[in-house]
Amino acid sequence: MNKIKTALAAVATLFAPSLLKAQFDFTVDDKPVQIHSFLQQGFAYSNENNFLTMDTSSGSFAMTDVGANASVALTDKFHVGAQVYMRNIGELGDYHVQLDWGYGDYKFKDWFGVRGGKIKTALGLFNDIQDNEFLQTWALLPQGVYPLDLRSNTIAHTGADVYGNVSLHRAGSLGYTGYWGIRANDPYGGLYYGNAAAGDPFISFSGKTAGMDARWHSSLDGLMIGVSWVDQTQDSHILDESAGDALLILRNTPQHLTSVYADYLRGKWHLSTEYRRNYNPETYTILGTTAQTNQGTNGWFGTVAYRVSKWLEVGTYNSRFYVDAPQNPANTASNHIFDQTVTARFDITSWWNVKVEEHFMNGYGDTFSYHSFYLADNPNGLKPNTDLFVVRTAFYK
Amino acid sequence: MKHLIYLLLAALAVGSASAWAADIKIIANSSVGASSVSAEELKGVFLSTKSSLSDGSHVEPVLLKGGAVHEAFLKDYVGKSDSALETYYRSLVFTGKGSMPKTLATDAEVVAYVEKTKGAIGYVAAATTTADVKVLEVK
Repeated sequence: MNKIKTALAAVATLFAPSLLKAQFDFTVDDKPVQIHSFLQQGFAYSNENNFLTMDTSSGSFAMTDVGANASVALTDKFHVGAQVYMRNIGELGDYHVQLDWGYGDYKFKDWFGVRGGKIKTALGLFNDIQDNEFLQTWALLPQGVYPLDLRSNTIAHTGADVYGNVSLHRAGSLGYTGYWGIRANDPYGGLYYGNAAAGDPFISFSGKTAGMDARWHSSLDGLMIGVSWVDQTQDSHILDESAGDALLILRNTPQHLTSVYADYLRGKWHLSTEYRRNYNPETYTILGTTAQTNQGTNGWFGTVAYRVSKWLEVGTYNSRFYVDAPQNPANTASNHIFDQTVTARFDITSWWNVKVEEHFMNGYGDTFSYHSFYLADNPNGLKPNTDLFVVRTAFYK
Repeated sequence: MKHLIYLLLAALAVGSASAWAADIKIIANSSVGASSVSAEELKGVFLSTKSSLSDGSHVEPVLLKGGAVHEAFLKDYVGKSDSALETYYRSLVFTGKGSMPKTLATDAEVVAYVEKTKGAIGYVAAATTTADVKVLEVK
């Protein structure tokens, strides 16, 4: 079935250019409605270890995602919009269409606005645009901080934002976002997949999130520095196979995400860096016994990209991911994932690009942290080193 | 002598760069009350972080699709290249936090659009005829 879906995605990819050209904006009650969409298709091949739930050791095209949105400004201050999104990344997504974001936005002043609905969460450099790899140099964002399999853990919340941009005159400007809401629950994401594959399926997941993001656009053109902080909760019920399918109750409260980041765009050079800390104590209760574990992780990356010409950009990044307390400390490959990546991005037209990327990875992280390496996809065991070749093309309008 | 030549070349380069800014005219629809705009405001308007000027007038940017005036405007007032700005707008569009601004091919089209569109603000070559739109001084 998945092969049929992948074939359909390939056909859609072939026809995407003509579909995009046929796209148009229209008016409703004299209000212009903007329509935008994107389609991304990838191929991944690895020498060792299947990656991101794909059969990458044999070469896999199961790397497709599609999104489309519509938005309209109903007045000078009020606009509404929504985006639908679906993906099929190996065993994840399975082409289930989901509301990616959908909300109303009222901007009282440039320094104060409110949004309500399902909203992409402002966290770090790329959280809210992590699905849109066509906006980046890279075929895959640094997975130490933006793991594709766990996107839904932070991607959006259903609730409200306050936001604004304050002029600091000669010192630049400060953009801010504060938010509160309900966390997304994604039964087709890596968290559900990893647990189900380990024989301990989720039967429920819920949580709340509240946080802030502040980014200073300095007076030095192209330099932006930011910080994000999130306080979230997670309540999960799991059937524990090793305990005869007894009910395991997990509470990850409080879970704090802290991110510090910087981005510098100067001429043909683009540099960025981010550090992310996930403070995550977990209390579990099973068969009347309660205990606590440390599920904390941290990671960082540094990227350098250079625009060679209008149609070519090249770049490299180093991504690092660390597990605070691996289940088997003697296994040194399970406490980290290091990834050195080189990329060439070809901009064929203003709405079509192709990226060719090579990852040189060491380590695979702990079984609880997932981050793209799953024992279920590697039944013969995980190897410490993985070289991964990725080609990804995107159409966007 | 060699140093003098370098100094002359440097002076020429500075002179030609500032000539770019002087060769651009900022225009706005007659609904815009302000008669001048700061460089900081212009940057905010074209990065969609500002939707009103200091007098409270609502504004919406209109851009040229390309060309020397467009490149000079981005360099002098926005601080992003054309491709970086397009990527920036797309990041707003695909998160719902903004919309794609109007882009037009020629100075004449920009003038015509600004003339008929409430709150529109754009830029054209200084030599362009702009009889029916407001020309804003950049402070």
